[in-house]
Amino acid sequence: MSGLKPLIAEPVFQALLWSAVTIGFYWAAKRLYARWPRWWLMPLAVTPVLVAVVVLLLHASYHDYIRGTKWLVLLLGPATVAFAIPIYEQRGLIRRHWPVLLVGMVAGSLTAIASSWALAAMVGLDHTLLLSLLPRSISTPFAMEVSGDIGGVPDLTAVFVVVTGIAGAVIGDMILARVPLVSALARGALFGVGAHGAGTARAHQLGETEGAVAGLVMVLVGLLNVLLAPIVARLLG
Amino acid sequence: MSTHYRLARFIHRSAWLQIGLVAAFWLAGEACVRALALPLPGGVVGLALLLVLLATRRVSVFSMRRGAQRLLADMLLFFVPAVLAVLDHREFLGLVGLKILFVILVSTAAVMMVTALAVDCCYRWRLSHVGAKAAHR
Repeated sequence: MSGLKPLIAEPVFQALLWSAVTIGFYWAAKRLYARWPRWWLMPLAVTPVLVAVVVLLLHASYHDYIRGTKWLVLLLGPATVAFAIPIYEQRGLIRRHWPVLLVGMVAGSLTAIASSWALAAMVGLDHTLLLSLLPRSISTPFAMEVSGDIGGVPDLTAVFVVVTGIAGAVIGDMILARVPLVSALARGALFGVGAHGAGTARAHQLGETEGAVAGLVMVLVGLLNVLLAPIVARLLG
Repeated sequence: MSTHYRLARFIHRSAWLQIGLVAAFWLAGEACVRALALPLPGGVVGLALLLVLLATRRVSVFSMRRGAQRLLADMLLFFVPAVLAVLDHREFLGLVGLKILFVILVSTAAVMMVTALAVDCCYRWRLSHVGAKAAHR
């Protein structure tokens, strides 16, 4: 074992190891979910748990882990740019329905901020946690940006965003089963505003319009929040 | 076959090359943010740049479509390392974690409910006032 120690401590080796572990588990989780699409098997839920187990078993720290996998988080930048393609392709949908979608996005965003604030204050969470919870309904690249802007901790927000995504995919189904909604627009918007990427994946399974609306609304609501964050920050400060 | 045409076909086929193109827009966005000290993420500025070029037909949607789809399909992978930050916050395993979970569950349900009802009411209102043509489907 002693001969292996210097090798394991090598940053290049660490980067390769943690990247391989993360990508490997993600890939396996995706295949698993394709076969058994249960909410608790979502790659978003399974992958972090499996990776965490390996990190703990090898007595590594989060610091070691993130140093080797930071490049994956950086890819959220190009992923944000990639949203230009679906937005452009859905321009007809935007032109037809923009007032309706705008009302939904503003109402949803205000509800997200107000309800997170009120509930967090009610159960007595401290201020930093509260601020980190505010942007959790929007997609990660946007959420982490907003979190930093308003004085939250972007790392914590990333965790809350993921929990929201998993919860949202399940809660969305429960709402659809109980509330009669007329339009595909509403069914898609609910997932896009409430549960970002995970919700959009679920909406795609419901239908083409639902999926397109969810993806579109997810991006626009993210943009809306990034643009509003400085204003919210001023109000809170 | 002209070189231009051949190059276009080559780009339309290679998803990896397209990911590189998308990443170039991101880098351009980052550069803009640095240079102009904008309060926005570089990715958002890159997105805006690309949208403008698409809308003015300077860039064909097919030159990045596959690459963008690949990036978006596996976007969830990019969050995984960030989620592991929870390892540095063991306090979440106790009461604080439960409180946070409660806030997330109730708030998410509220957001989804409000969004769906707002969109549906607005949609119905437009259908009856603007007429079926404007609010088609």
